[in-house]
Amino acid sequence: MVWNSLLSELAKGTLTTITVSLAGLAVGMLSGLALALVRAGAVPVASQAIAVYVSVVRATPMVTLALLIFFGLPAIGLGMSPLTAAILIISINTSVFQAEIWRASLQDFPQGQLYAAHAAGMSRALTFRRIVFPQVWRASLPALVNEMTLVIKGSPAVAVIGVVDLTRVAVRWTTQTYAPIPPFLTATAIYVVVVMCLIRVQRYTERRIVEKYGTL
Amino acid sequence: MSDPRNPGGLVVEVRGLSKSFGRLRVLRGVNLKIAAGRTLCVLGPSGSGKSTLLRCINFLERPDEGAVFLRGERVGVHCTASGRERAMTDRELARIRTRFGMVFQQFNLWPHLTVLGNVVESPIHVQRRPRGEAVAEAEALLDKIGLSDKRDAYPSRLSGGQRQRVAIARALAMKPEVLLFDEPTSSLDPELVGEVLSVMRDLAREGQTMIVVTHEMGFAREAADEVMFIDEGAVVETAAPERFFGNPETPRVRQFLQRFT
Amino acid sequence: MIANFGIVLGEWRELATGFLNTIWLCALSGVLSLVLAVFVSMLLVSRRREARRMAQGVVDVLRAIPFLMLLFIVYYCLPAVNVRLSSWTCGLFALVVYNTAYFAEILRGAWTHLPPEQEEAGRAYGYVGLGLYRRIILPQIVIAASPVLGNQMITLVKNSAFLMVITIPDLTFMANQVQAIYFVPLETMLVAVALYWMICSTIEWTVRRMDRVALVRGHE
Repeated sequence: MVWNSLLSELAKGTLTTITVSLAGLAVGMLSGLALALVRAGAVPVASQAIAVYVSVVRATPMVTLALLIFFGLPAIGLGMSPLTAAILIISINTSVFQAEIWRASLQDFPQGQLYAAHAAGMSRALTFRRIVFPQVWRASLPALVNEMTLVIKGSPAVAVIGVVDLTRVAVRWTTQTYAPIPPFLTATAIYVVVVMCLIRVQRYTERRIVEKYGTL
Repeated sequence: MSDPRNPGGLVVEVRGLSKSFGRLRVLRGVNLKIAAGRTLCVLGPSGSGKSTLLRCINFLERPDEGAVFLRGERVGVHCTASGRERAMTDRELARIRTRFGMVFQQFNLWPHLTVLGNVVESPIHVQRRPRGEAVAEAEALLDKIGLSDKRDAYPSRLSGGQRQRVAIARALAMKPEVLLFDEPTSSLDPELVGEVLSVMRDLAREGQTMIVVTHEMGFAREAADEVMFIDEGAVVETAAPERFFGNPETPRVRQFLQRFT
Repeated sequence: MIANFGIVLGEWRELATGFLNTIWLCALSGVLSLVLAVFVSMLLVSRRREARRMAQGVVDVLRAIPFLMLLFIVYYCLPAVNVRLSSWTCGLFALVVYNTAYFAEILRGAWTHLPPEQEEAGRAYGYVGLGLYRRIILPQIVIAASPVLGNQMITLVKNSAFLMVITIPDLTFMANQVQAIYFVPLETMLVAVALYWMICSTIEWTVRRMDRVALVRGHE
């Protein structure tokens, strides 16, 4: 059993996992913010529709969502590569949780500041860009980092549609060499290290934000 | 029948109790005696150590020095046959604690149980009394304190005064040898204090052995057989209420009482 | 599209089998996990440092890895140490172990938020050890933590879908079978999504009922 070869495979898998997760997170964050803003704006039909959409996606397992996107969408003409599908799946899944996180921060936002901005002649868009968003993204940061952890833990779902992430590398190595312990032990260690780092980052950001801005 | 270990017939005796929290000495060599059927009120300014004294008696706090006796038996310390001493285990302490009935300042009723549930909980599950008997006695107790109609209510629905009366019933249900009251009315709104003190007065008159830590001077004057004044961890004066309130010996007590007259 | 839904509904027996298997697996592992978590949470707050540290270490590792990883570890690594389990047992085992760690951590968190006076009143009335936990502490922390426990149950249901990769015939597996055979991927998976949504909504409804109980029987 060749360690170097195993480690390089695992490294590639880790890279895939992290890339797909980060890309999915980025898209998910933006779409989540969009969803939250529409709901906060209380647009009549769209708000209710989004509420239902969020409720349904939150109840959907990652694997089921993966099969729906990768096998279901081509049936209505939207075919895509496994990698694209993986990013789409992760972003759909995380966007609804992000939407909830943004919604919580936006709801708690003090009205008084909006009155002050309005009185100072700022438009809604400008108010959002310069007053609301800079504070809200800082308040959401710990929850966002926590969501990052959950994305990493949900990412192996993309293995079922053929993306060779860290988990799939471990499985492939096992089925080829009949030696399950080394790849799984190492892969577990990698996941643990990544997640522990993220948890540490989360605690650090929480502390820094409270220090710098008081409790936000 | 006189117990050779307890010739004086005392229910609780405390000798030389000392306790520190870190560098703060809270109790210094406190002595306390109470005979059966008597009511002892412990008074003193805030921070004088009265609550700590009470909690050391049933070993919710472990004293640093001194000894506590319940009817001649040592509480918290086990004397082996060979004469050596060792601290009691949690299990041994648990068994002894059922012989005390404690009423807390914050009532501390168990919110997930009904009023009746709170009263029968320990008798059934710790003292292992039959359910029928425990329930019958609990209902009699609730009737005595005037809360029969609340037997199936949850504590969250009761007023402070009602909750404390249930807490007293809970303590009585254990058939304790002595009742320990830790500032029972300090957390109550003024209008509700009366109903609790009234129950406590009745208990004193019926001959319950009670140690009451309180700020309620009126209660001490009327219901106590003996009043003890503690300040800065030490016992300053112990006397019958007529002497204590009428003609106290120590200037410290006189100074304390001046604030209340 | 409508015609395709017709095909899917024609295969209702397959989907129903998967649906019931999912419910059965989740209910069984949920109950087992919760019971085990009660004991593990006692270890997590134990006064014996070694026991507490070891338990916390195991729980932390289990909570840091993806569920699919644990499932594969059970499926591939156990045979290497001569423990041969059926797929079903592997799946159930993985679900129970994973969720015990999460439930235990939730109970531990709720315990630290319980006012210490409650435990003290319990001790003053002669409770100690397992009795103290079972009758005084546990009811209160379960009531207090019921929303978080409910969320974890929903996560358990979603994790159960991973069991399809080791060919356990749960809802996702059966839906996948149907869509592969009849070439109706979109409609089949949408039906599966709807069924998962029903299960999760039921759990959320139960949690909301528990919340009302908590208002009356919980700590302010």
